[in-house]
Amino acid sequence: MAAFEAVVTVTLKPEILDPAGEATQGVLHHMGYAVRDLRIGRHIRLTVEAKDAEEAEGLAGQMAEELLANPVMETFRVEVSAL
Amino acid sequence: MRAEDVGLSQAEYQRILELMGREPNDLELGLYGALWSEHCSYKSSKSLLAHLPNRGEAVVQGPGGNAGVVRLAEGVEIAFKVESHNHPSYVEPVQGAATGVGGILRDIIAMGARPIAVADALRFGTDRPSMQLLEGVVKGVGQYGNAIGIPTVTGDIGFSSTYRANPLVNVMALGVRRPQEAIGAATAEPGQLLVLVGQRTGRDGIHGASLLASRDFDEESQELRPTVQVGDPFLGKLLMETTLQAVKEGLLGALQDLGAAGLTSAVAELCESSGVGAVLWLDRVPLREPGLTPYEIMLSETQERMLMVVPEGNLSRLQAICEHYEILATVIGEVTVGHQLIIHHHRVEEAHLNTTWLVGTAPRRPVDELWWDGLNSSATLDEALPEVPSFSVGLLLKVLSHLDVRDRWSVYRQYDSMIQTRTVLGPGHDAAVLKLRGLEPGIALTVAGPGRWTAVDPYAGGAGAVYRALSALAAQGASPLGLTDGINAGNPDKPESYRAMAMVIRGVADAARATGVPVTGGNVSLHNETQGEPIWPTVIVGAVGRHPRPEEPVRDRLSEVGERLFLLNPAPLNWGGSAAAWTTGQPTAYPRVDGDRARRVLEAVRDWVAAEHPRAMRVIGDGGLGATLVRLWVASEPSLGIEVQLAEKSPQEKTLRFYNESPLQWIAVLAEDDVDRAIAWWTRESLAYAELGRVTESGLCIVDGRYQWAYSDVMAVWHQAYKEVEA
Amino acid sequence: MRIGVVTFPGSNCDTDTLEALESLDVGVESIWYQDADLAQVDGVILPGGFSYGDYLRSGALAAKAPVMAAIRAQVEEGALPVLGICNGFQILTESGLLPGTLRPNRHGEFRCDWQTLRVVEASPFFPGLMPGELLRLPIAHGEGAFYVPPGTLATVFQQGEAWLQYVDESGLLNAVINPNGSMANLAGIKRGSVAALMPHPERAMADYLGSSDGRRLLSAWLKGIGQEGSYAG
Repeated sequence: MAAFEAVVTVTLKPEILDPAGEATQGVLHHMGYAVRDLRIGRHIRLTVEAKDAEEAEGLAGQMAEELLANPVMETFRVEVSAL
Repeated sequence: MRAEDVGLSQAEYQRILELMGREPNDLELGLYGALWSEHCSYKSSKSLLAHLPNRGEAVVQGPGGNAGVVRLAEGVEIAFKVESHNHPSYVEPVQGAATGVGGILRDIIAMGARPIAVADALRFGTDRPSMQLLEGVVKGVGQYGNAIGIPTVTGDIGFSSTYRANPLVNVMALGVRRPQEAIGAATAEPGQLLVLVGQRTGRDGIHGASLLASRDFDEESQELRPTVQVGDPFLGKLLMETTLQAVKEGLLGALQDLGAAGLTSAVAELCESSGVGAVLWLDRVPLREPGLTPYEIMLSETQERMLMVVPEGNLSRLQAICEHYEILATVIGEVTVGHQLIIHHHRVEEAHLNTTWLVGTAPRRPVDELWWDGLNSSATLDEALPEVPSFSVGLLLKVLSHLDVRDRWSVYRQYDSMIQTRTVLGPGHDAAVLKLRGLEPGIALTVAGPGRWTAVDPYAGGAGAVYRALSALAAQGASPLGLTDGINAGNPDKPESYRAMAMVIRGVADAARATGVPVTGGNVSLHNETQGEPIWPTVIVGAVGRHPRPEEPVRDRLSEVGERLFLLNPAPLNWGGSAAAWTTGQPTAYPRVDGDRARRVLEAVRDWVAAEHPRAMRVIGDGGLGATLVRLWVASEPSLGIEVQLAEKSPQEKTLRFYNESPLQWIAVLAEDDVDRAIAWWTRESLAYAELGRVTESGLCIVDGRYQWAYSDVMAVWHQAYKEVEA
Repeated sequence: MRIGVVTFPGSNCDTDTLEALESLDVGVESIWYQDADLAQVDGVILPGGFSYGDYLRSGALAAKAPVMAAIRAQVEEGALPVLGICNGFQILTESGLLPGTLRPNRHGEFRCDWQTLRVVEASPFFPGLMPGELLRLPIAHGEGAFYVPPGTLATVFQQGEAWLQYVDESGLLNAVINPNGSMANLAGIKRGSVAALMPHPERAMADYLGSSDGRRLLSAWLKGIGQEGSYAG
């Protein structure tokens, strides 16, 4: 077994309204920044024990499916690196 | 598309063919599907609801509008209603509950009233996932209410495993307006512009009404789940201020919020109630993402939108207000003469329908009057008294830890109950009391409706919910102005579920009529059924009353040693659907009370309280006399105690007295000096009473000299946070 | 004397605050967040609420509003008295006018409750509020845990910036009574002419609402502004 760092990035599905993102983008506009498509997500970092990177990625993905992300409205991405 | 794709039966489809004289196109079929759905048309319940009394001297607007309106005082009107958001809250508890709060607030705003209070009535299962749902729902209610700045001032929470896959989220909102600010959907005139204000339209919740809320849950529900609607209380706040400013300045011809079935329902309801037609130019509707079809635009349930009907001359002023609040306002159509709804998209006519067909002729299940008359005849359970456990110290602790009986502090402290600075009594009391600035009378409001009671007898439980709500007003000396009812039941196509719903409504109707209090509006949520398992038929009754002196509400705690405790209107001994009965597994029929007698008792108690202002009052509620005594006691200085002597002789009779949950009973706490006068009043009014005991300095609760509880004993069970009671 | 109450989009205690001030017989002015003209007012309140829905971080988006640049200039040049309440506190820390930041409550929940506060330090901006004095005020917030980086808490106290603390009913400091995980139970902070607190004085203006200690606090602030000559220098 080895330790792996997994980073789970959770984002709202594209069709789901992101009120926080809209308000934040609005203020950036007022401040003079010409940005668009601002979406706010969650960044979750964790360390997990696994026999290889593949298993670590699988475990992190399971955690994301079961708890970290809400499949009804969110998608997620997992990145794993050895520690 | 086929009829069943939009939730319509073959018979309904045939009826559409007859009406139109041609086949509807997909968009037209979708509009029918939405508007003829159970959720929008109330097809199963409308004929039943017609039996609810809805007239009264205080009534300004009865059922049919976005909310009922009653007169509080000269120049001040109250709009209020309860709404459900059950199915969405199961799919996504935080957003489901949040959008539920947002939705009922827009109903109140659509009457021209400023919302000043929210009350939430929640029902959950008893297992672990249910407690997670509870957590999410409470977060959602708070998230929206706290942020938009409307206090959640009271509520009700109940549990049963039957709510496991069908939790109930019923939210009542209340607003105030001046009569000159009255507006609604019935006053649109041809030539006026239809202005869509608020959030840009996305693919949120398409088919929420026709498919999610109008069918049972099953394996396929997963597929049918519409895109989750996300509530935005920030935009909701701006939309509220924009709308109320436009109303205040008299800019609007009519007003309609967008809720279930979105633009479809808003436009159709507006046309039907105003007796006009409309033309829509859908390509003008601002979109959140490109490429929405006319079908999606018409059925989107994107939140935080209002449809304003504006005379052309007022448009620029309305746009200025919207610009101030940085909120979108777009002319998307025009009111026309006649009954035709014509929908254009990029100059192509996409739909052409008669609004009367869509709304007025929506199918309706008729009610056989003979059948209705017989609904109050039989109780579903044996009325004979069962074997009940003997009176014991342990039984009270068991009842106090029943989920329905527990202290609700863990939930209520997550709601802002004090914003707007009118809250004199907030959550945790029988009724909330609000003081309005510059006005002598205040508002008392309450919600009630234990599923435990309707579960054993839908008729008596429905009536009991009305009596329970009115008892809370009477305990404040407040005069009832109106009721709102939220009916929640299973699949109406199943005879037993339909009959249960009808019995609940009949119970509400009989109690409301007997007590002379009108039901000015409400909500019906059906198909709360998963894989053939329906919920307990459940009614949430909200009551609003005029409080005679809101700065000095009647308290519900003990104040000093020597005070005397009385039980007002003690009920005949029964076990019913009490928490104690469910705890010990032997519920029997819920007691039925005579309507005329109920009215006399309620009026006598109200008049006595208003005139004599007793030290404290508490309605016998969840957990019966025992739990109600505990609530009085633990709200007081810890050094105070209670000593009670029960008149009943046998240990079983003592149990029945201590735990029965019959309606129309109160504990009255009196100063020693006031006892004689109170007894004289009660005797004159033929109000039965029993002396219970007195307030002591022992710091203990003692019954019959031998059963004894310390403060820490009861707090350890009553004051726990909610946790699952089954795996 | 005139007091301005700023309304940001999403502010929701602005009306309550205006009404509380009016009940103290002081002239009031509602200031929209895009207005940068503060010439007409002798003091400013940033009221509670959810400016910009508390999105991103509470107070962060409002801190960038035009009115905040004007307030900063007036504070720095003319010692404009500013009082932040709840979300106003969050906006003031986000804009750097007060030290520290307000993190989500330790238990992760919104909390609405009555709380007893103790005055830590007297301030010329609140004449009559003496150290050790107790106030009973409501709180209602989800992000109220005052936080400063490790090693800097002592400085906050040394510089007299610690203003109010959550205490029990007898006035004693303890961890159990801390409603949100605030460092050192801090409920209010002050720096120069700027002060802020998480509790809501505008909700405690009458006994029938549960307390009139908010009246005491706001009256003291107004009295301080009335004596402005003595410190404005």
